[in-house]
Amino acid sequence: MSSSRRVVVTGTGALSALGATTEDLWIGLLSGRSGVRRLPRFVAAGLNVTTGGEVDAAPGDDIDRDRKIAYRAIAAAMAEAGRDPAEAGFVWSTGLDTFQVGAAGFTHRAAGACFSALAAPFSSPRRMIATACASGTQAIGEAFRLIRAGQIDACVAGGSSVMLTPFYLIGFAGLQAIALDRDDENPSAACQPFDRRRRGFALADGAGALVLETLARAQQRDAVILAEVIGFGMSQDAFDLNRPPEDGAGAELCMRRALADAGLAPTDIHAVNAHGTGTFVGDLAEAAALRRLFGEAWKFIPVSSVKGAIGHAMAAAGALEAIVAIRTCATGIVPPTVNLNEPDAGCELDHVIGKPRATEARTVMSVSFGMGGQNAAVIFKRINF
Amino acid sequence: MTYLVAAAERRDLAAVREASPELWRQVRRYNLPVQLALAAAHEAGTHAENIETAALISLAPCQAGSPDLYRWGELVVSYSPGKRLGEVRVNPTHTLHAVDNLALSAFAIAHGNHVYGLGLGGAAGQAWCGLEAVLERLASGHETEALLMAGDQDSIERPGAGLGVALLFSRLPKPCAALGIMPHSRGKNVAPRRGGADKMSALHSVSKALPLGRLIKLIAVERQRQAEAHAVRPHAAAGVSELLAVMAQHRRGRLSYRVPVEHGDGVDQVTVVMERL
Repeated sequence: MSSSRRVVVTGTGALSALGATTEDLWIGLLSGRSGVRRLPRFVAAGLNVTTGGEVDAAPGDDIDRDRKIAYRAIAAAMAEAGRDPAEAGFVWSTGLDTFQVGAAGFTHRAAGACFSALAAPFSSPRRMIATACASGTQAIGEAFRLIRAGQIDACVAGGSSVMLTPFYLIGFAGLQAIALDRDDENPSAACQPFDRRRRGFALADGAGALVLETLARAQQRDAVILAEVIGFGMSQDAFDLNRPPEDGAGAELCMRRALADAGLAPTDIHAVNAHGTGTFVGDLAEAAALRRLFGEAWKFIPVSSVKGAIGHAMAAAGALEAIVAIRTCATGIVPPTVNLNEPDAGCELDHVIGKPRATEARTVMSVSFGMGGQNAAVIFKRINF
Repeated sequence: MTYLVAAAERRDLAAVREASPELWRQVRRYNLPVQLALAAAHEAGTHAENIETAALISLAPCQAGSPDLYRWGELVVSYSPGKRLGEVRVNPTHTLHAVDNLALSAFAIAHGNHVYGLGLGGAAGQAWCGLEAVLERLASGHETEALLMAGDQDSIERPGAGLGVALLFSRLPKPCAALGIMPHSRGKNVAPRRGGADKMSALHSVSKALPLGRLIKLIAVERQRQAEAHAVRPHAAAGVSELLAVMAQHRRGRLSYRVPVEHGDGVDQVTVVMERL
């Protein structure tokens, strides 16, 4: 591969339940803290799900909340990279929300309006990715491919989501995907990825943005390179609208495609940032896929999920998780899966439990598996000079 | 090289209900945009060499939602403080519509397609990104065929009329079979502004098949940033439908189709370059 077409990350921005910066997210994860909490407005509404990973950067009833949260993440990433929107493409995922309920009541407001407002300052392509929970990872992968193919030199990629509303809480409860309240439990422990007590995800708001550009351009600018993007894979389960096959075949397929794209063998991966939602079937399928992918090496490849700490930020999830994977690349530190205490039978992996693990990890895979069956995996690598 | 192999449009689901009960059984649980997209996609997909291995690119609706969904939202807003909101139920499919590009997922499931899927859309002008993605995927050599599908409704206030469109492309030269393309003049086949659904309804009666029967190449999607932003009419399918109508009337040679600004993203002037051999 020509060096001019190697793709690197030079900026990140993250807003999550752990805070309004990438540093907040990373430090919070390393401390084993959960930002998921009980939200009084949902208690007052009498919902049976009252916890969530709320972002405090914009009021919960602000109709423009989606754009404000996304904008802050994008601005932070651009500032870190030192790039201008006019010289970068934009590949961004949001939900497909159709209305907002704010202080003024019910308002028709398609998610596309948020995307269009965010995208306008950027150069083309400006693509809005909509593949459910895989969207954020696919946005990064598509941006990577566009740059590697020589179509653009730089791109902002990521996603944002503001679905922490009664509509979605009730809806996901109906889909048996979300963790219902339990009186005997700390609200911050609502989401327990891979744990034998898991009972669903905690819904969250959030935004994650990455600046991708060619290695050549980054070097020319003396930019700080956070990681190299070396592979992307995508697949479709073609199985069911809201659950994966138990054997995780589609998840495995997308990871194998990412490895092939990167020219790597499975054992070249040093750590995995898992999708790890805390749903019963989803975690089983993911663990099965990872064990089959790695063979016996699964016992030695650390796996971590951030969703116990920040909840499931839907279209933003993949981007926030990619940012964590990049930090792991840079530092070798794998954060713990918050709220994972006793891995369930069938969820056996080399889980990072209780405290961060210092490793030699330099090549990290981040994966996302969408509710409708779209799966995406992206591989990052530490770059040394 | 990228060839347009087949195209299909759907505005009316009555024919699906009557003629394809199995397809109707598959799609009836979805909202109108997804039903229309799937109906068109299934028709165009019948012309594929192997739809299981075609790249799938699906445009989510810009005018999303359904009457049921909006009734739910209004119910929530009007709910009296003394009652528990948790007693209100949501049809799970409504939730999935707001999370997932359901036409993509449902089509992949129906056809056992495990290869590349790209969900785009929800914002104005993404259809042209979809055509760009078709060119990229087929040029990359990963797949031989690519299916672009889109569905939308005319108005979120007055759902009930809409448009689904699907285009099948191939790297291999095959004559194009255009199915159900509406013969209309440029500028008329667009989503009306809010409250203008009657204009669209008036066009339904003129729909008929236009077999093209010639090789049609998709050559490029060109973009030029406009000096100033333009107002748009966000609609996932209308712009592509109009492109097809123009292509159907184009007799031979290269066509540089300048996308009307209302079908763009408000930022770029988009030109789709095609050729009818």
